[in-house]
Amino acid sequence: MGFMTASGVGKTFERDGKSVVAIADFNLTLEAGEFVSIVGPSGCGKSTFLHMVGGFEKGEGTIVVADQRVTSPGPDRGMLFQDYALFPWRSVIGNVAWALEAQGMGRAQRNAVAEKYLALVGLSQFRDAYPSELSGGMQQRVALARVLAFEPHMLLMDEPFGALDAQTRELMQEELTEIWQQNRRTVLFVTHDIDEALYLSDRIIVFTARPGRIKADMRIDLPRPRGADIRKSGRFTEYRNQIWDMLREEVLRAKAGS
Amino acid sequence: MAEPIGARLLGAAAPLYPMAVLAAAWELLARSGLVSERLMPSLQRIFGALYTELLSGQIIYHAGISVARALSGFGLAIVVGVLLGVWMARSRIFEALVEPIFSFGYPVPKIALYPLFILALGFGSPSKVALIFLECLFPIALNSYFGIRAVDRKYLWSAANTGASRTRTFFQVLVPAAAPAIFSGIRVALPISLVVVILTEMIGDSSGLGYFISYSTASFTYDLAYAGIFSIACVGFVLDRSLVFLRNRIVFWERSGSAPLSQ
Amino acid sequence: MNMPGLDNRHVRMAAAWVLPLIVVVTMQVMAGSDSAPRYVVAPTQIASTLWTLVQSGEIFVHAWASLVRAYSGYIIGAAAGVGIGLLCSVSRPLSAFFDPLVSIAYPVPKVALLPVLITWLGFGDASKIAIIALAVFFPTFINALYGARGVSQRWIWSARNMGASRARVFFMVIVPAAAPHVFNGLRSGLALSFIVLFAAEMVGARKGLGDLILQAEEGLRFDLMYAAIFSIGLIGFASDRLLLALRRRLLAGKFPGEARHG
Repeated sequence: MGFMTASGVGKTFERDGKSVVAIADFNLTLEAGEFVSIVGPSGCGKSTFLHMVGGFEKGEGTIVVADQRVTSPGPDRGMLFQDYALFPWRSVIGNVAWALEAQGMGRAQRNAVAEKYLALVGLSQFRDAYPSELSGGMQQRVALARVLAFEPHMLLMDEPFGALDAQTRELMQEELTEIWQQNRRTVLFVTHDIDEALYLSDRIIVFTARPGRIKADMRIDLPRPRGADIRKSGRFTEYRNQIWDMLREEVLRAKAGS
Repeated sequence: MAEPIGARLLGAAAPLYPMAVLAAAWELLARSGLVSERLMPSLQRIFGALYTELLSGQIIYHAGISVARALSGFGLAIVVGVLLGVWMARSRIFEALVEPIFSFGYPVPKIALYPLFILALGFGSPSKVALIFLECLFPIALNSYFGIRAVDRKYLWSAANTGASRTRTFFQVLVPAAAPAIFSGIRVALPISLVVVILTEMIGDSSGLGYFISYSTASFTYDLAYAGIFSIACVGFVLDRSLVFLRNRIVFWERSGSAPLSQ
Repeated sequence: MNMPGLDNRHVRMAAAWVLPLIVVVTMQVMAGSDSAPRYVVAPTQIASTLWTLVQSGEIFVHAWASLVRAYSGYIIGAAAGVGIGLLCSVSRPLSAFFDPLVSIAYPVPKVALLPVLITWLGFGDASKIAIIALAVFFPTFINALYGARGVSQRWIWSARNMGASRARVFFMVIVPAAAPHVFNGLRSGLALSFIVLFAAEMVGARKGLGDLILQAEEGLRFDLMYAAIFSIGLIGFASDRLLLALRRRLLAGKFPGEARHG
């Protein structure tokens, strides 16, 4: 029994009177401590699946995380969004401590926890700043601190670096890996950037075009801990070519179908 | 996948639900005897009175006068207001001179100037139309001003890029781009025109729905008064819906953003 | 038409006074001549009348009467409007009742109810406060609902993701997120409350600035009338500034586009 098991998962959207099947009869199992990425063409249903694991969208099938059936959102599956979703009316520390506040923790205690995680992402001196004063990369780091602060069993990440420029993105990937390697939570990471998926993951799932199915489920045999140099290695390039060929097929299929 | 007919009917009936509840509450209260029957006539009596008045042409006469006044002031305000708003947005000198008047004057109730208008223009329609014009002018001018200012520069750059003349750019790019905002102002101004016309008719006149209501109340014929109120409600509702319809035809690319409710 | 001087804040502030000053000067000059209509009064005369009123305290009596009515009605109407508006965003039954009701009733001039309210509640403060509250309810409700409905889904998801209960989501996410829109509604409501107040006072009141204006006009005391009008304008303006200051205190720097708002 895996840490996360999805069986028979499906979701259909109504759009302008037409039905769009995002995913159908989808099965996936994750082991504890794995970093798993999902890559796929646009509109293939990868984000939809992630949202279902998060409990934000409901559909067919069952999803079980740590022996609990997923029926609604909850702090056991922390979510990181592409647009950071920080609360602009709260300071940085207010955002990071938010979950703890919602759960009723006292001020001194939750601030202590928040500060610990803020330090982890290197933003301690911005404790009292407001999100609107920070750059995109910094906001995402605050969002990361926020989601780590309530110590979820599992992390869900929805193209978290998609809104950042390429340089910041690479640095963020390195930071994320470093932080993750410290306590190896289970992560489900959605992206359309193959290099990003390769750099971060133990395992990559390639989605087909809509309705999303598993085209390939690859174990990534790159050494850990991973430094920036790994991107230049031959093995990395091999993997990338392999995945890109598969993805390309699906991207073209998605274009043809739309 | 067509919506089941039952759900569709329910959706159409939804707006009537609160009205039905209120009407029921009113009838209950009116017939219970808790409130004097004169003060709170039953709906039957009110609609009976309404029917009589409609037949006699009285209500239509008064309603027509009110609507004519309101729309005159309103229409004038649209023309002048949009022009002023555009001018303010395009000329920094004009903006510096005039915009503060609009910003500062906005929260000041211009109704306070009504006695002045009466002195200058007499008790009849002109003073009313003038006040309506003034009150409607502010939201229209301000919204037009903000609307034109907020037009994304990229639209203008695209137009310039194609070699379009300034006139063409103005009429075919700037105005359409600012149209949603301009209509926002217009939509705010319409109820204002009605409020002012009714109010000024109540203060002193011998025609119009405002006068009708005021007079009916003073004569203790409350069923007539309520009938008058109901008529105004209908007028206001119809005018607003017409405006929304017009707006959605003209600004077809953007669904009514100024209607924050679920309509 | 661009003049570099206009970028200067002080020049702009000075320019703002040009037109009003022209009006004042024109009035002063016209008032002196014999051919001028009676209602053109010299600003100097208005000022002196105003001063007399201040000294005798009479203006404060009227202003206070008006203010009490306006603010009472405003607070009641705004509290109801904002409260119900926000709650409608999370409660389906509530929204099913109020949403269509407000949508239909919004374009209807509430002042039409004034004579009826006066009959029910008398010529005193109650009818004024009632009509003001009723009028203010609408823009505050509409803006609060609009703001609450427009709250980004991401924020709500984040909050639920972090284990917040529905109640906490409402108070800790929806309410603060809707705040800018709520303030727009509050501002519209404030301006509206003064308009409706003077409307109500002019239809019939004991004491109050609207009543003062009518009395002055009947007595052909135009200087008094202008003085009262000016006072009204001042109160409306000052109230608006107060609200803006409050808004700046609560929202500045936190929301995009909420920088030094004028």
